[in-house]
Amino acid sequence: MKTRRDFIKNAMLSTSALALGPNLFASAPTGKAPKRFIFIHKGNGLLPNVLIPSTFSKKEMEMEKRKEAFEADLGKHDLPEWMSSLNEHKENMTILQGLSGKMCTTGHHTWQSSLGVYKANERLSSIKWATVDFELAKLFPSPLEHIELACFPIGGGNSRGNINGIEKGFSARGPQQPNYAFGSPKVAMQELFKSVANSKDDRIKYELERKVLEFAAKSEGDIASHLAGLEQSKIQNYAESIESIRKRNTKIDGMADVIRKHVPKLDEKYFADELSTVDRQLGHTEILLSTLISGMTNVVTFTVDELGTLYNGLDDIEKEIVNLHDVGHGKPVGDFKALEVREKVRRQHMGLVDTVVKRLKAVPEDGGTMFDNTMIFYFPDNGETHHSHGTEWPFIVMAGNNCKLDISGKYIRLPKYGDEGHKTLGNWYTSVLNAYGNSVPHYGDFDTGLTQYGINQSGNIPQFLG
Amino acid sequence: MTSVHNETETATPDIAPVSPRFQTLRSSVVSRMMSLPAVVIVSFIVLQSFATAEFREWTDVKGRKVSANYRGMQNGKVSLELKNGRVLPFSLNSLSKADQQWVEQASATSSETKASSNPDPKTPFEVHPKMDILLDVYCYSCHDEDKQKGDIRLDQLGTLSHRSRLELLNKMQEQLFFAEMPPRKKKSQPTDPERKQMVEWITSELDKFDASNLEDKMRYPDYGNYVDHDKLFSGKIKDSPYTPSRRWLVSPQIFHQRVADVFKLPAKGRPRSFYGVTNPFILPDHAGVRYYDHSALDGGHLLMMLTNAEWISKKQIRAGRVKNGEIKAGDFENRSDKWLPGKTPAAFEDIILKKSKPTGKEMIAAIHAQFDCVLQRQASDSELKRYLPLLESTIEIGGNTEGLRQMLISVLLESEFLYRYEFGAGSVDNHGRKKLSPREASYAIAYAVSDRGPDETLVKAAQEGKLTTKADFQREVTRLLNDKQAFFAEGAPTLSGKNLRSHKVSHPKLNRFFREFFGYANSVKVFKDTPRSGGFYSNTGRGSSGTAGRVTNEADRIVDYILKEDKNVFEQLLTTEKNFVYHPHNNEAGTKLVDGWREVYETLKDTNWREQPYEVAKKHEELVWKHLRVKPAKKNKGAKRHDATLGRYMEYFENTFGKGNTPFTALHWAHGFNFRYAEIYNLPPAAGTRGGYSDKETWDYPVVQPFKMPNRKGILTHPAWLVANSQNSATDPVHRGKWVREKLLAGRVPDVPITVDAQIPEDHHKTLRERLDSVTTKKECWKCHEHMNPLGLPFEAFDDFGRFRTEEELEHPDNLLTKGNGKNNANTYKTRPVNPRGHLKGTGNPKLDGDVKDVFDMIERLAKSERVRQSIIRHAFRYFMGRNETLADSKTLIDADDAYVSSEGSFQAVIISLLTSDSFIYRK
Repeated sequence: MKTRRDFIKNAMLSTSALALGPNLFASAPTGKAPKRFIFIHKGNGLLPNVLIPSTFSKKEMEMEKRKEAFEADLGKHDLPEWMSSLNEHKENMTILQGLSGKMCTTGHHTWQSSLGVYKANERLSSIKWATVDFELAKLFPSPLEHIELACFPIGGGNSRGNINGIEKGFSARGPQQPNYAFGSPKVAMQELFKSVANSKDDRIKYELERKVLEFAAKSEGDIASHLAGLEQSKIQNYAESIESIRKRNTKIDGMADVIRKHVPKLDEKYFADELSTVDRQLGHTEILLSTLISGMTNVVTFTVDELGTLYNGLDDIEKEIVNLHDVGHGKPVGDFKALEVREKVRRQHMGLVDTVVKRLKAVPEDGGTMFDNTMIFYFPDNGETHHSHGTEWPFIVMAGNNCKLDISGKYIRLPKYGDEGHKTLGNWYTSVLNAYGNSVPHYGDFDTGLTQYGINQSGNIPQFLG
Repeated sequence: MTSVHNETETATPDIAPVSPRFQTLRSSVVSRMMSLPAVVIVSFIVLQSFATAEFREWTDVKGRKVSANYRGMQNGKVSLELKNGRVLPFSLNSLSKADQQWVEQASATSSETKASSNPDPKTPFEVHPKMDILLDVYCYSCHDEDKQKGDIRLDQLGTLSHRSRLELLNKMQEQLFFAEMPPRKKKSQPTDPERKQMVEWITSELDKFDASNLEDKMRYPDYGNYVDHDKLFSGKIKDSPYTPSRRWLVSPQIFHQRVADVFKLPAKGRPRSFYGVTNPFILPDHAGVRYYDHSALDGGHLLMMLTNAEWISKKQIRAGRVKNGEIKAGDFENRSDKWLPGKTPAAFEDIILKKSKPTGKEMIAAIHAQFDCVLQRQASDSELKRYLPLLESTIEIGGNTEGLRQMLISVLLESEFLYRYEFGAGSVDNHGRKKLSPREASYAIAYAVSDRGPDETLVKAAQEGKLTTKADFQREVTRLLNDKQAFFAEGAPTLSGKNLRSHKVSHPKLNRFFREFFGYANSVKVFKDTPRSGGFYSNTGRGSSGTAGRVTNEADRIVDYILKEDKNVFEQLLTTEKNFVYHPHNNEAGTKLVDGWREVYETLKDTNWREQPYEVAKKHEELVWKHLRVKPAKKNKGAKRHDATLGRYMEYFENTFGKGNTPFTALHWAHGFNFRYAEIYNLPPAAGTRGGYSDKETWDYPVVQPFKMPNRKGILTHPAWLVANSQNSATDPVHRGKWVREKLLAGRVPDVPITVDAQIPEDHHKTLRERLDSVTTKKECWKCHEHMNPLGLPFEAFDDFGRFRTEEELEHPDNLLTKGNGKNNANTYKTRPVNPRGHLKGTGNPKLDGDVKDVFDMIERLAKSERVRQSIIRHAFRYFMGRNETLADSKTLIDADDAYVSSEGSFQAVIISLLTSDSFIYRK
């Protein structure tokens, strides 16, 4: 059987000569499939107690209550009911409790904080460095490097007036460089798959873009050719950057067959301007899968919702417009209490995760499946609750057989905030980065409040690295 | 416009003015850009790969890591640019095998691109006879056949391989230039002309292969102080100053104004930001001058410009599209983005409204119009020849409107939009220099005193040829400096946010020099644990720059106050005891307000206002309304949390006027009130701001400000500077000392060696000074730390929040005395006395150098130092010229210093002197 990797290899063969200069030296092809990372984050906090399996022993329950460190085998327990769609993937799952993130902006809106581990806010100057998803994308280069999809908020601190557009997202490429995210499946489709677009308008748009780049490359190149030394480099860098984009476009054209094969095949309703939040999530999930499976990217970050995202389409309350902020303040929706609405939201998210896992498990790769080389992180963008302080930052992690962290199939409760051995979001991301080849001593800011407890905040979580 | 257009024509393609010696490093950067990863289809997504390609993690042989950008390799040294902007050389051998291979590959690519233009490396090499004699006299005794100190042998240059020779020559060049060799202890030293001769010969040999890296290093801010200070101000250097011809990347502020210029918005009332525009430029964080001319456009800039151009071009044609019926006036793609720039330029509208293809004339008019919007000039004939076919074809493909828009985008992507051009024009003088062209001069002057392009008067002066002489420059610079309204705006818009607006100043660009020089605005990037402060300190957060933002704004006010007085500016900035603290009203308004409040209090204090507020208010309705804006209300007790009531006022007055104090002029019960940080200045809290009223001491608020404050002396003792130069939970004497050494004493501190793990040991029985001393006084550490610690340790008189202290708390659970709640009080710990003594060395004046008893003693001495004054002038030079000074700028600097002294310390005089200097006017 011809695997997806074989297919991509063949498709890329003709363009391989264009590839890889010095900056890819460290990641020269190894013949193995790249690792993929999917970050799915939600707003309004993730309540730690909803992640506790009801089948825990009394002792485990008490330890959990006291937030004392312990591990449990998920295989021996039932997942909370709202997570039931993931039951069949329990051996690939980790429930990670007890991380803190007080070095992040917490509360309602957090911008790039949960991915960057610093106090991000509306000012670009608060973006201190590339978020962890971008750091991982550097380790596993791909044509598009990284894709961000978002169900943008309509109200609140980082609201977006046009939730269907391409706007500043929740990831960052580097210091003061916010990433841009696709707000709707439609715009993501138009932009990501325009090289294989069928509509005349899209083809024209693509052609015009290429023409402008061609013109600009020649124009700046001509200026540079008349210069020397430093002055030449001041223009030449620019000219060659334009030229690089053109070359990349050529390469992506070379992948047209692969891309065309994986263009999301969705009902038209998902590409409408007006679509329910749930449909938006489903549409984005298809885009996510297509870009990963086609090899266009190895890292996708997906804002499934943010506090200011208005929800509709949830089970049993399809027609209700759910205001997550109100839910955070305990306001019921229809016949459902706030906690029940929260559960419906999470259940919806789990359905998306299940879709991703199942589909990736169905793609053969290197003798296994694509999921074997994938990690999925599901977590809140602000910590433990609506008005969070960052004392807890729960994660659900889904990882395949080739995961380099020794965590799968476990419920892990780490020591609580301030206790010896307590770990932060920074320690967690450092572990992930270290495991996959970035040997950074510590990723993220430190928590100034932890200093008084004499806790060494630096570095990875050794037991995770086996 | 024609003359303007012609000037630009000469400036663009015909000038290749810079020595090829600069090529090496740049071409390696270029080669890096060439090698960015894989394929991209969507322009904005590509941003990622460019940006992330800049930095990679480097590992040394000991496994230590550093994240840096590769800048090139020479002489076995790999130049790496750290994230703070510093470029440091690392020995290739000190890097890991993988990194070494990486560098080899990168250099190979770089060499390939250069090979064609360089002479054959196999050409026999000869040491110039004169050079040979000098080497024999000063160098061979330690570096020849008999002796090879440091494994260096200089008598075999001709027999070395090409690469090894270049490596050695670079080493020699650097050692000689920085006067590191011959060793200082050697009696036999080359004379200045001899040293110069040797450096020039080596440089010329290296230049043959574009292999000199010294000049590139010397362009960076870190190397500004390498120019010998005494020589610079000796008066012996008679060179004619000039600035190399250059493209100078626009600053973030200038970029913003240029975008506003595209829409031809009036100078006043321009938007603070444009929704769809991301500023592609970032200045480094470090203190000191940050905006230099050596930066080049790169892929990151391009990709941001692609998205910016998309948005700008859509806005440019929006009105025309509405007129054409393509969209409705009320339709917006984004409801958060309803800003309209006004009319679409007529030439664009003609094409949009036309039902058939536009004529050549119409297309040419549109191209000229866009050049005018974006580049403030018309397109040249050659540019028209390029743009016309583009426009024809894009219209052919996309129709009139969309085709036109692609042309607009193309002009917006011109690198000229992002650079300032300063090449000089006209005749060359006896020293090979040309003056700035009048048009260039108009921009240079305008950008020196503001962020906007030239005003009408400057444009007119340029067009009429009245910007050619020094007197012309002086006339225009003086005019702009005297104009207190044209540029009047917020001094630091980035501080503004929830509950805080930066105060307005007449020339934000000029104030910004001191802001950057001192670097106190970096305070907003330092996070503190709020409970440690007892709750008064809030961090930068959503919509707010926190306490650091407030004190930074107060430091800005001091700077502005001193600049307005314009007398002994440097000395005042270093020694003033006057401060602004909580100053929401100006002196007149504040005094009037308090007088009114006092009148109310004096009138009503003996009434039954507490029991019968309604009746009292009713009886004195006019008075109460006039001064308190409060209407009689029957239900004072039911007043909402933030409501102003007579009762609340009177209680406030009773706890202020009633105790002989003046009340603070903002109401502590008002929504958004966050003046709780008086303690950072060691002041008691304002009444009512720390958990209600009590018998505890509160602040007798000075309405008239600035006011004198004890234990503060100038910006270096201001909380903003102290926080900016602190760690999260500790002070930072090393960096504070480094700042004084480099910024005030024109000194240098060697970079931290990569192998040094700079850690202060933990010991909760000792002060930070004691712990620091225990490690840095070791011989191998002290050779660097002696330049910093004695200057930084006197600042231990302040804690990491910037509070004055005589005792240092030993913050450790073992030393806990009382537990605070973190909101209104902090933990208290055992203490040890602060040792504030230090040692001043490097003023060049034996009367000032020596032991200092405390920080105030040190600052007083610094303020009297000629060296300090000149050091600030050197930094001002860098700020206005966008580059480091060289010895050839000696006259410019001496003139500026003289101007300061003879004007009794006017900074305005310094600016005028610098902006009328040859360094400013001439290019070469």
